[in-house]
Amino acid sequence: MTAAAAVSLRGIAKRYGSTIALDGLDLDLRPGEVMGIAGPNGAGKSTLVRILAGEEPADSGQILLNGTPWAPMQDWARVAVVHQEPQLFPNLTVAENMLVGREGSFAARPRLDAANLGLMRTMGIADVAHVMLGDCTLAIQQRTEIARAVARNASVFLFDEPNSALTSAESDELFREMHALARAGHIVALVTHRLGDFVAHCQRVAVVRDGRVRRILEGAELTEDGIARQLVTVEKAATPGGRSRQLAEQGPIAFQVQDWTDRNGAFAQVSLTGRPGEVVALMGVEGSGAREMLRSLAGLERCTGQIQIGALQGNRALRGAAAYVPAARQHSLYSNLSVGENLLVRLGVPQIAGRGLALKRRQMQVLIADAIARFLVKVRAPSQPVRSLSGGNQQKVAIAQALLCAPDLLLLEEPTRGVDIHSKAEIYGLLRAYAAKGHAVVIFCTELLEVYEAADTVRVASGGRLSSPLAVAAYDQVEQLASDVIRLEQDHRAGTAA
Amino acid sequence: MTFDNPPPTSGSAQGRSGFSQAGQATFDVALRIGGLFAAIILVAVITVIIKPNAFNLDVGITVLRAMSSVAIMSLGLLLVIVVGEIDLSFGAVYGLCANVLAVLWIVNGVSVYVALPIAIATGALVGLFNGALVTWFKIPSFIVTLGSYNLLYGVSLWITNTSTFNPVYPPAGVTIPQAELDLFTGLTASYGTRPISLEVAWMIGIAVLVWLLLHRSLFGFRLTAVGGNPVAARLARLPVTRYKILAFVLCGVLAGIAGILDFSFIQTVQPNSGLSATFPVFAAVIIGGASLSGGKGTVIGTIGGALLLAELQQGLALLSPGPHVQQLFLGAVTIGAVALDLTLSKIRNRRAS
Repeated sequence: MTAAAAVSLRGIAKRYGSTIALDGLDLDLRPGEVMGIAGPNGAGKSTLVRILAGEEPADSGQILLNGTPWAPMQDWARVAVVHQEPQLFPNLTVAENMLVGREGSFAARPRLDAANLGLMRTMGIADVAHVMLGDCTLAIQQRTEIARAVARNASVFLFDEPNSALTSAESDELFREMHALARAGHIVALVTHRLGDFVAHCQRVAVVRDGRVRRILEGAELTEDGIARQLVTVEKAATPGGRSRQLAEQGPIAFQVQDWTDRNGAFAQVSLTGRPGEVVALMGVEGSGAREMLRSLAGLERCTGQIQIGALQGNRALRGAAAYVPAARQHSLYSNLSVGENLLVRLGVPQIAGRGLALKRRQMQVLIADAIARFLVKVRAPSQPVRSLSGGNQQKVAIAQALLCAPDLLLLEEPTRGVDIHSKAEIYGLLRAYAAKGHAVVIFCTELLEVYEAADTVRVASGGRLSSPLAVAAYDQVEQLASDVIRLEQDHRAGTAA
Repeated sequence: MTFDNPPPTSGSAQGRSGFSQAGQATFDVALRIGGLFAAIILVAVITVIIKPNAFNLDVGITVLRAMSSVAIMSLGLLLVIVVGEIDLSFGAVYGLCANVLAVLWIVNGVSVYVALPIAIATGALVGLFNGALVTWFKIPSFIVTLGSYNLLYGVSLWITNTSTFNPVYPPAGVTIPQAELDLFTGLTASYGTRPISLEVAWMIGIAVLVWLLLHRSLFGFRLTAVGGNPVAARLARLPVTRYKILAFVLCGVLAGIAGILDFSFIQTVQPNSGLSATFPVFAAVIIGGASLSGGKGTVIGTIGGALLLAELQQGLALLSPGPHVQQLFLGAVTIGAVALDLTLSKIRNRRAS
């Protein structure tokens, strides 16, 4: 193994089109410790990982290895990235995966030698050497990925949300491996949304916001509450959306689920209600069941239990009364259609077609012009390809598609992922205006700031259960809300562990 | 599919300043089709220069007749390709439907008024079979229709007992009523001083219907959406399964109609009829600008593709350099059209960013 060396990033900047991903980021990674990298979505964490791994170049700035300039793009073999989804060959055996790319001679099919076998033993994957990688558990696949990197003498290990799909036993195992790598003098960095893992396993945690390291927490400062507060601290004070209005505790119910249980086990016996005009936020890390709960309300997960939306019940409610906006825009937009066609794509008879299914072309132009004005889509002309819009405007089109159906229950998964600040505010305004007309809105969020600005109530999911609701209006400062949400998650973890 | 006459966009920020981008999509399609028809005229001019006596209305009529059945099948295939699937079986459907008609009518004495609808229903049934396997059993359409291609050819061989049929010269002991024969041959009868077959009128009529369906109806709008992004369509609760099955059914029906019309015109049918049309029909759709990844394709382009192919075939036959040249051209034009498409869109994307 090569001698360990420190990596320093100085003034790293990277922009994609008009979006600034990294804005002069400075960071030192030391051998022998596990460095945590925390940050809200879109803060630049993934860009940082990609640049360190040599997957793409920085626009400006310098990376130093032991004080001398270093280019990961050329020296990529030194860096290993362990993703949530291993980037390997599922159609080859574990042993073959170890050897791919390091076969030596092309003359013969590669054979496992003693050195590789020894390494596989220490990594605990020798037993499954001849099993197809695709048939192995995620944990084995990740260990194979780590073993590959160790075998090629990598010295920088980046873990990008590695344990979000692992069981807690597998997760513990992975962290033991992480600490072993650090003890061996490698550089180890961990990117995750699970704040508890930072506290348990990292010596230092860098909080990244808006493309820079804002704070490095260590020692007594390094607590879940501390990180959570740092994540939501903004220069400009955030304004809570639901603050001004008082919701009636009693009154009509817009939708209600009871005893709601996922057949695949993502959540069980969930009860959730929403009143007309209420924006409910569901929060939770991957695996908590929050995302699945939202998708289940759109009828995308097979569930048992009672559901009522407006006057409809059961499957008829799921089919007819709810509209769902997926998190990824490539799951809602049609790149072969224009902006105008994208806006109307969910409509049918009688809105855009009449007798004999003939399209009402004049009516469509009117609807498109109305929608562009109402949903604040900045577009040169409706016939423009939807791809040519900015991310924020694409997201507005995606939300408008669902809003034009006038659903009783609007469901949004991460409504402002990859959206600029200005569009975010406009999108929150649109949601609030839609709710104010007497509809219910449920959003799944990973960001507390989003909850604070967009929602009236927040329910925290953990282990497939929902907490009791917190009223956002009761908080004057977002940091307090962050503390309470973290406390709910911790309590829940303690409760399930006991 | 694009909207013409974009309305004044009162809600837009930049107003009309971005006109160049405004009609972009419309413009792209127009450019593509304009280029195609320019190629068609170029081929005609070159042929006439080399062989001046090819400048002749009869040659033009022959080209139109020859392209008819290919064009009708191409329109069916276009619907399947727009929804993002593949159909390899239409050539076999063409043969099967004509053979079903022949066996029922000529061999078994079923009236042509009954046999014709049954033959066309056979095409629909095959489409339903393909569509059901693709959507309900999630078998890739390439596999399903490769299988049904062979399956249907097998059925054709079986029901015809590998024989050829001609209603004008029926097998011994069979008499075809003259009225039925007249109706059948009348489907593609030729009219005018320079005789032009009704088959051309069928092609034009079907092209207009498919154009209305694809470009002016809710069905076509959603078909394009489903082909462009099937995941989004499923999440938005569009009837993806139904639309995919319908596309296969229409493809089967149109292939059956093409087979019956050619049978009526040529007056003979054999078990392997239509099989050799498979790749020319694909070529016509692709040359017409449809994308195999779905969501893109026009009726006018597809007709242009079929016309260009028929024209090349006829022109090269007149110049008679040998059958190899037609094949070489078919291959070169198909690859060339798509290569040109990709190059143009790459240039456009670079300019846009």
